[in-house]
Amino acid sequence: MNNALLLLAVLLLAGSQILQKLGAARRLHGTRTPREWLRALLSPELVGAIVTIAAGTLLWLTVLYRMDVSRAFPFLSLGTVAVVAASRLWLGEQVSARRWAGVALIAVGIALVAST
Amino acid sequence: MRSAANRWLGRALLTASIVLSAAGQLGMKAGMQELHALGARGVAPMAAAWSELAPTVTWTVGGLTAYGLSLLCWLAVLVRYPLSYAYPLLGLAYVIVYVGATHWERLAEPASALRTGGTLLILAGVALVTVADRRR
Repeated sequence: MNNALLLLAVLLLAGSQILQKLGAARRLHGTRTPREWLRALLSPELVGAIVTIAAGTLLWLTVLYRMDVSRAFPFLSLGTVAVVAASRLWLGEQVSARRWAGVALIAVGIALVAST
Repeated sequence: MRSAANRWLGRALLTASIVLSAAGQLGMKAGMQELHALGARGVAPMAAAWSELAPTVTWTVGGLTAYGLSLLCWLAVLVRYPLSYAYPLLGLAYVIVYVGATHWERLAEPASALRTGGTLLILAGVALVTVADRRR
């Protein structure tokens, strides 16, 4: 139960980061007037980014209520793994051996922390 | 002169985003710990007097504020530095949170070889994933 909440919070927070990046690149980039800026802010990407970060943060507090922060916080590095996987799967980017090695280290590190 | 001041500002923003992100986590945890203590004393948060709620609210709001400020500083950092330079340094927050959680008397979380090892592996992994950027 606690681990499921933790994973859901991490997923929401990582998803928000991806939406922020998409929103910044697709919508905020090149906006000049306040009106343009506001319209960019109301785009699906940026509204989604705000909703996911609010829900993720709320859920994160309930996770901290239930477990040590020294156990919960390292799980946020799963976001890094998710971004590498997403760039390979959806954006078709080449992922170097060095990066996969980094992903493997993170995975082992999380497994160690999770076992405590 | 201007570029020296700019460099100084960039470093200050990067340091602030790392330190504030770690401080935010520790503050939010302290707030949730106070909430836990409230429950253990049989106090219902919704019906509690302000004097009972104050530590919970202060730490939680303080932690959330530090977290929010760290996100703003991080955005300013991303304008100045390539992600491949800034992101591995952000990994230092994992170490600060771990040392803070185990050494700050208010939290006093148990240190263990598994958590220490896992945290260091994650730090190394985050660095490898992002530093690889620079070679391409």
